[in-house]
Amino acid sequence: MKTIIVACGSGVATSQTVASKVDKLCKERKIPAKVMAVDIKSLEQNIRIADVYISIAPSYKDYGIPTISGIPFLTGVGMEETMDQLEEILKK
Amino acid sequence: MEDMKMLDKELIYLDLEAEDREDLLSQLSDILYEKGYVKSSFKQAILDREKVFPTGLPTLGVKVALPHTDPEHVIKPAILVSTLKKPIKFKEMGSGVNDIDVEMVFMLAVKDPAYQVKLLQKLISIFSKENVLLSLKECEDAQCMYNILYGELY
Repeated sequence: MKTIIVACGSGVATSQTVASKVDKLCKERKIPAKVMAVDIKSLEQNIRIADVYISIAPSYKDYGIPTISGIPFLTGVGMEETMDQLEEILKK
Repeated sequence: MEDMKMLDKELIYLDLEAEDREDLLSQLSDILYEKGYVKSSFKQAILDREKVFPTGLPTLGVKVALPHTDPEHVIKPAILVSTLKKPIKFKEMGSGVNDIDVEMVFMLAVKDPAYQVKLLQKLISIFSKENVLLSLKECEDAQCMYNILYGELY
């Protein structure tokens, strides 16, 4: 099972919302993945177990795993394309 | 049931005027403070967080911002909604680089994330509905906005 990690500033609102949206879309597409929402402070310790990082906070460093923008999951603009991208990454 | 009280007609404002982002966030934080929803520390926390983790979103129809901060500054949960007389520049969430001309603000006072996440999800699902955002912007009074939001959230 692959792990997707979503992080935002405080981990209270946007990351949880994006995580549940991604979880729902993964289920619809039958992508077996675990989606985790964390705050940016605990990102470093959690990123080691993740396969993809969905970012909704400005990123100042490279975590060494594929990173995609979480904004399409909030605005709906380009969401399907982003899911295609995510699916492609998780297949590898 | 705390969820049900988050949306309140007295927390819906139309055509708010502000000089810039900081002025706008201060005014909105003051409203929440005066009405007893947040602690006095909320305003500074909102201003600081917006600088580090901007909340402007390039939504279709009407651009929105979603300022919020840590639960420790919140007394009781609330959603403060305001349309703006003139667009105010926010930085884009995620990149933190692009400017977004925001026309509607949803300030969140989040107290218990686990409990409120469902309502927040519904609120955010409004952001991908261009027609709903446009109808909200066309409203001439708070009752109209309340009815639309209520229909979407509950």
